[in-house]
Amino acid sequence: MTNFTIMEIMVPLSEYATVRQGATLLDAVLALEKAQEEFEHYQYRHRAILVLDGDRRVVGKLSQLDVLRALEPSATNDAALKQLMRFGFSTEFIRGFRKQQRLQADPLENLCAKAGGLMVEDFMQTPSEGEYVEVDASLDIAIHQLVAGDHLSLLVTQGDAIVGILRLTDVFAAVFHLMKEYQLT
Amino acid sequence: MKALKSLLDRIAQRVNINLRELEFDVTPIARHLVPLPQMTKFYAFYGITPNHPLSLEFRHSSLAGSYFLGKCRASNSILYKSDVRGDELQKKGAKFTFGEHVITLADDEIIDIQDSFLVKTLVHSYSHDPESRERFFITNTIACHYANIHGSPTDGSFLGPFATVDLTTMYDCAIGAYCYIQAGEIGHFHADPGTVWARSRGDFNFVYRHSPERLKPYIGFVPGKPPRGIFMDFLEARKKDFERVFEVVNLQRPKGIPTNASLDRYAVIKPKMHIAENVLVAQRAFLENSWLGKGANAQENCYILNSRLEGDNVTAHGAKIIDADLGPRVFVGFNSFLKGCPRCRLTIGGGTIVMPHTIIDIERSLTIPENHLVWGMIANEADLAEHSMPLAEFSRIDGRFYRGNLLFEGSGAAFVSAFQKRIEHILLDNGALFDGKRFKGHAQRNQNISVNTIQPYPEGRLQGLYPTILIRP
Repeated sequence: MTNFTIMEIMVPLSEYATVRQGATLLDAVLALEKAQEEFEHYQYRHRAILVLDGDRRVVGKLSQLDVLRALEPSATNDAALKQLMRFGFSTEFIRGFRKQQRLQADPLENLCAKAGGLMVEDFMQTPSEGEYVEVDASLDIAIHQLVAGDHLSLLVTQGDAIVGILRLTDVFAAVFHLMKEYQLT
Repeated sequence: MKALKSLLDRIAQRVNINLRELEFDVTPIARHLVPLPQMTKFYAFYGITPNHPLSLEFRHSSLAGSYFLGKCRASNSILYKSDVRGDELQKKGAKFTFGEHVITLADDEIIDIQDSFLVKTLVHSYSHDPESRERFFITNTIACHYANIHGSPTDGSFLGPFATVDLTTMYDCAIGAYCYIQAGEIGHFHADPGTVWARSRGDFNFVYRHSPERLKPYIGFVPGKPPRGIFMDFLEARKKDFERVFEVVNLQRPKGIPTNASLDRYAVIKPKMHIAENVLVAQRAFLENSWLGKGANAQENCYILNSRLEGDNVTAHGAKIIDADLGPRVFVGFNSFLKGCPRCRLTIGGGTIVMPHTIIDIERSLTIPENHLVWGMIANEADLAEHSMPLAEFSRIDGRFYRGNLLFEGSGAAFVSAFQKRIEHILLDNGALFDGKRFKGHAQRNQNISVNTIQPYPEGRLQGLYPTILIRP
């Protein structure tokens, strides 16, 4: 029976798309494209970019959704909508507001042109405590963290350093493989 | 002054504990709102009138320059140049309806201020909280310059300068500068500066948010510094006139004032005023070179300069009207700032409602037609088009309405009707509709108020604090 370790199935940091703090969203998207081209052997495409500080420490993660969020009018961003909810407006009202803001916003081409120049720090997510997993942890611990935290990936640590990214898709592939093995035995 | 300093720190600590969830720290704000020596300089005063129950109780508090009327209690609190006006408190036996319940007051209502720091704040009206009708409480709260706590029991909260909380029970909230909140009941809510929110659950929800960039010149407030901006400059420029009315013991009542009009002795009345019948001018109001038609009023901290108000005008607490002509029954909401100029007058047609916390500041003449609703920030015709609408048209809104920074959900008709009813009610309360026999209000009842002064310890550890004082009929 195969015994998968996190080290075996994670993507090493060196192969992952990264940008430095201060980069633009366009820089981030280009880094993602480059990482994909250089590591074509992966069955699944990269879906996120890590943001590093001057000491190459991971300070944030930018997902595809975060990039798309940059195209939303500012009045309909999460923080603004959360504020509207606090005033007690109905869900239907907020949906209508969102739609109206979208109609009043620039055409998509202009939004894309503008978004490319925005800073990654304004859209990246800072990893939470549950998004880190030790490199020598067992796979079931990692599965629990992915499921409990509703995460698409975990940052794999070795001491203080981030050494890789454990993606949901790779964990799923490993689990699928194990299921098939059990089926055959 | 040691005791005063320790009292201030204690109040800030209590407010911080209440606001911990919002991560809002009042300490740097509280320490710099008013220099401590200022709080030892001024006497406090209270009114006596046969028309309102008298019951005053002060314990371990500083009351510099503050005024009390009716049934009030202050303990472990600092009130600096604040007005606690209990002339609308409900009396024992009064009945009110809440849902299907008819509730009778078991005692005369009292304004009860504990562990709070109020700076130039107005406290008025009566508790609208069905759970606390006999006690209009203000506890563990800090309110900055020219805040209004109007009919709003408040606990564990912070109000920024020129903020108003109106007919709302509030727990553990941080209300930014120049916010207006009328929302029934709120808790753990943080309102950004310049938020104007009027809600009646199930009927309507009105939210306007002033643009921070446009609001900033009018009111800027950062922790560690007193508020600044056009509002403060305007008030500071007229401070000297108030010093005179507070220093002189016997002021001569201006001539030609009708017997059924009320001019508070702590209001500033500068030359060339016309005061018609049933006019009410509250304390700390400032009038100059203006015409107040029959039944018009100027509530606390209102400034009316070079203007003409045709009659039955409500100028709510803290509103300013400069170089303007207002038709009959124009309502100007709390802390609104309406400023024309000598060569560019602002004209507002009769029956128009200017929402609380509206700013109109023009450099070219501007006319607002009659029976309109006006809100937000207006500097020119284009702003007016975005921030106004005929009342009849607004009444037709049923559902959703978005325009600029205004969001509205619910029934426009209910919204307009609620405001119109309230205006009618205010006119009635103020005595604007007095016909010689019926409908007596504040303008008639508040004419003969005796005022007594009380003083703090002049020096030593307790300097600035007042001894325990109980005043009963």
